Amino acid sequence: MPSAEAKLKKNRCANCLDCPSCNHSLTTRATSVALTDAKSPEKKTTKKVYYLACGLCRWTSRDIGLTDKESLVVDGRNMKTTMQKGPKTDEPEVTPVSKIPPSEEVDPLPSKFYTQPLVLEKVTTLAQRLNRPEFASNQVEGLYPRHKHLVIKRSQRCRDCEHNLSKPEYNPSSIKFKIQLVALQHIPDIRIYLVPKLHHERESIVTILLSNPSQEPMEIQLEALNDPPSTGMLIVPSIELALAAKDITAEFDEKVADTSQYQDNPELGNIETIKESYSLTVSLLFALAVLSYGSFTFSFFLEGIPKHGTVHIVETILKLDITANEVYPVRSGHKLGVLFKVTPQTSEADVVVCFKLKHKYHNNSPSLRSPPDEESSPEAIWLEHEVHINLGPTSP
Amino acid sequence: MEATPGTCSVKISPGAVVCVEAEIRGDVTIGARTVVHPRACIIAESGPIVIGESNLIEEQVLIINKKPDNGPADSKPETLTIGSNNVFEVGCRCESLKIGDHNVVEAKAAVGRDTELTRGCVIGAFCEVTGHEALADNTIIYGDQYDQRRQYEKPPDQTLQLDFLMKILPNYHRLKKSTKTGDR
Repeated sequence: MPSAEAKLKKNRCANCLDCPSCNHSLTTRATSVALTDAKSPEKKTTKKVYYLACGLCRWTSRDIGLTDKESLVVDGRNMKTTMQKGPKTDEPEVTPVSKIPPSEEVDPLPSKFYTQPLVLEKVTTLAQRLNRPEFASNQVEGLYPRHKHLVIKRSQRCRDCEHNLSKPEYNPSSIKFKIQLVALQHIPDIRIYLVPKLHHERESIVTILLSNPSQEPMEIQLEALNDPPSTGMLIVPSIELALAAKDITAEFDEKVADTSQYQDNPELGNIETIKESYSLTVSLLFALAVLSYGSFTFSFFLEGIPKHGTVHIVETILKLDITANEVYPVRSGHKLGVLFKVTPQTSEADVVVCFKLKHKYHNNSPSLRSPPDEESSPEAIWLEHEVHINLGPTSP
Repeated sequence: MEATPGTCSVKISPGAVVCVEAEIRGDVTIGARTVVHPRACIIAESGPIVIGESNLIEEQVLIINKKPDNGPADSKPETLTIGSNNVFEVGCRCESLKIGDHNVVEAKAAVGRDTELTRGCVIGAFCEVTGHEALADNTIIYGDQYDQRRQYEKPPDQTLQLDFLMKILPNYHRLKKSTKTGDR
């Protein structure tokens, strides 16, 4: 709605009404009434009539004695006259109030306040009265529905660069942001994938799953912090990791994405064939037992494996754990499983490990400061984030 | 007449639709044209329950004639009576011993043992009414502040909904057979 029209309509919606009792939106409800013809009393015709009803407090337009209407637009012109009893002119007359000096002589309270019983249900609440200050009816019969206030979306600007993040729009339900610069779409997602039982001062292998949220390949480096405030010693893999671009359609694809270009490990290639063999199941169990350091929790892990894609990762991790006692990344689409060697330094508190995540970032969004024709491909920069991961308590 | 667990003395009038999956324990009487959805619970723990005609009892509803917490252990069993044309919406809990006609207990609402619903009362969604009082006719309790107001007329009947359910429910659910009157 253009603002001129909104002003003309006094910033209220022409069609929607609010409940005078609880401010909820009113709905039009249909019902049928049987009408008897005046000429032939035995002939009955049913007619559809409409009235307004509130879904929350069950207020209806019948409560205030309004008769049901035949047209669907109940609030239309017919009801308008009953609802707008206020002054017709745009500028209401202001009558000056003469000053009254304070005095002790006050008119006595009318006797009806002492004699008539108080029926609380008939009295309007303060909020209901203030909702329509021009009438301020103190009886519930005087509560008339009111046209809904128009709402508008406010503008939001970035605190630093004053970019407009969201513009005021006439449609408040539209939630489109002006700039697609949410960190969620650019910074790799880190998830704890598999944590074995952690023991005090004993090295365990924790699997962390990194995933690339952006539409472009990403390079990631992990570094240890100089003075980490952690409760677990962490050896991070020092090699540079490459993450494939996120392909939304790949999630619905049956085929496993081709990852040969990354040359992680020749073992990865024939995983599909191993997976079907029985021998892997045995080695899988064995590997889980290795992972959880001889404890009997492997059945839990097996049950906990959710999906085809993740099974692939788990098996790859396990296979690699047996064949090579090193840290190898494991890949599935834009996700990458990384094995961390963690040695808990505490036996009481939760094990917290810290590291530095570095990833390459290409700023592809057009910026106001540098004209787009100056440089076709913006320079990639390394962004650094300090990551703290709580791996939970150690096992006794 | 203490109902022992396991014994089932459910009396279902002809014309009532009671699904097998509904849990009904103790001495319960269900009137004609009453629809009880699957997974509804009607438990006559400390006394019989009598449900009238044309009531709608939806899923996850708990209607229980409960032993009073601080009452004497050997008190006389009281009957929980529900009138006709009442609606118990999904997930509500009703312990009230006396419920009249044309009342609506909305979803997740609760009515206490000592609260009486007379006629045309509406307990709004998620409202818990447990006071020792009889609500006047057409009382409506709604909202998180338990606002109370009086309605001009009783809530409309659910006749169409009941007719629809009586037609549809037997297609997908097994029903409990009605007991012949005068059988017991």
